[in-house]
Amino acid sequence: MRADGTLAILDRWGRAALPGTVLLFFVLLTLAPLRAPYLSDTLPLLPVLVVFQFSLATPERLPGPLLLALGILLDLLLGGPGAPVGVSALGFVLVRAAVMANRRYLVGVPFLFQWAGFCILSWGFVALVWAFTTLWTWAPIDPVPAILQYVVVVVIYPLIAPLLARVRARDPLNVPELSRGSARPGETTS
Amino acid sequence: MAIRDDFEVVASQVRTVVQRFALGLLVIVTFGVMLVGKADTVLVEHARVLALDMVSPVLEAIARPVAYANRAIADLREFASLREENARLREENARLLAWQTAARRLENENEGLRSLARFREGPEASFITARLVGDSVSAYMRGALLNVGRRVGVAPGQAVVTGEGLAGRIAEVGENSSRVLFVTDVNSRLPVLVERTRERAILAGDNSPRLRLALLQSIAGVQTGDRIVTSGHGGSFPVGIPVGEVVETSEGTVRVRPFTDFSRLEFVRVVDYGVTGLVGTGGGTPAPSAPPAGVRVR
Repeated sequence: MRADGTLAILDRWGRAALPGTVLLFFVLLTLAPLRAPYLSDTLPLLPVLVVFQFSLATPERLPGPLLLALGILLDLLLGGPGAPVGVSALGFVLVRAAVMANRRYLVGVPFLFQWAGFCILSWGFVALVWAFTTLWTWAPIDPVPAILQYVVVVVIYPLIAPLLARVRARDPLNVPELSRGSARPGETTS
Repeated sequence: MAIRDDFEVVASQVRTVVQRFALGLLVIVTFGVMLVGKADTVLVEHARVLALDMVSPVLEAIARPVAYANRAIADLREFASLREENARLREENARLLAWQTAARRLENENEGLRSLARFREGPEASFITARLVGDSVSAYMRGALLNVGRRVGVAPGQAVVTGEGLAGRIAEVGENSSRVLFVTDVNSRLPVLVERTRERAILAGDNSPRLRLALLQSIAGVQTGDRIVTSGHGGSFPVGIPVGEVVETSEGTVRVRPFTDFSRLEFVRVVDYGVTGLVGTGGGTPAPSAPPAGVRVR
């Protein structure tokens, strides 16, 4: 069945760990002091992009509890005083669930459809975080920076998504059950 | 065979149910976390500090090359305008030398007057220099992470300054890391003085690059170009750190531009004033130190 050489084991582990590691990297990158205007403002939304893209390709390697943990980590690292901890986790979990439920419309379709899907889902994410932060701090928070963030991340989606989309099942026989039947391998991108 | 198939069907059904249930469970957990965070702020604070301490070495490793690249780009840009920059600096130097003379004269005069009046100065401030290892900027927060913490004496409430002026105050402190809340953050409220009129006010941030001057007694006295400095009220900040200048006064709102350029901060100084005032957690304000023996304070 499976080759059990050291390399094969490493390969399996590496594949299993990759999406989580990439997501962790982007969560940490959120805090990196990049001085690029606009780009550094959008960094907090990049993890959503990663969650979306990997939920398309390999949702089984990005399980819910992992998203929960990383979302809470993101909130802890990013949050100011009074901001709700766990709202990003909620957003991640919901984005994953939404992608899983709509694989039919998102996997194996032209890139533009995926982009549109990302627009809708990340809008939901931004709205969710904004609403919860407003409720939690009970203060009117200017939505304009959040909307700006959203616009920038939607615009840079085509730059990053194809890179992330290379992470996917390689071999037709390796296609996990979840994606079987709904999409042929190699169709996760345009 | 048939039994096995049945079993597999049931198993897959169970798996589906669990998967469906898993989403609900995760959502419930996130709500639980949020509620706990709302109810027990101390716990969340501890968790934040722990997370900060864990990631700050990683961030520092990222920050160095990023800072290097940024500096290289800035250098390249400056090469282009070297000549003009030089001329400008020479001019500024001449002007500053004149100021230096004036400052020396005033310092001497001040010292003389102080000894005449037996004026007792506030506590001496000491500085802790820190590197910015992380941005903490999002749509809801303006801040940064520093690579210094409790171990070198950083405490919540201390002022964070740059060469240009005040940047913010320390909000959270870990063992080897801390979070500074910029004056532009929506949670920032700063007691200040209008330097020219000595009028007290509160400088409030609203996550935009401009600050809002609030609780002024009379707005009429404030003019565009007035410098805003910290007033030292509340006890945690030294008096007279420049914060910004008034750029706009129109119907009831006074807008202040901070001197600090938050987009290119790299090193800051944390001012240890020896007093953690009202905002601190260090058990209230310690009593001011007694005057040295033999000096009578009137």
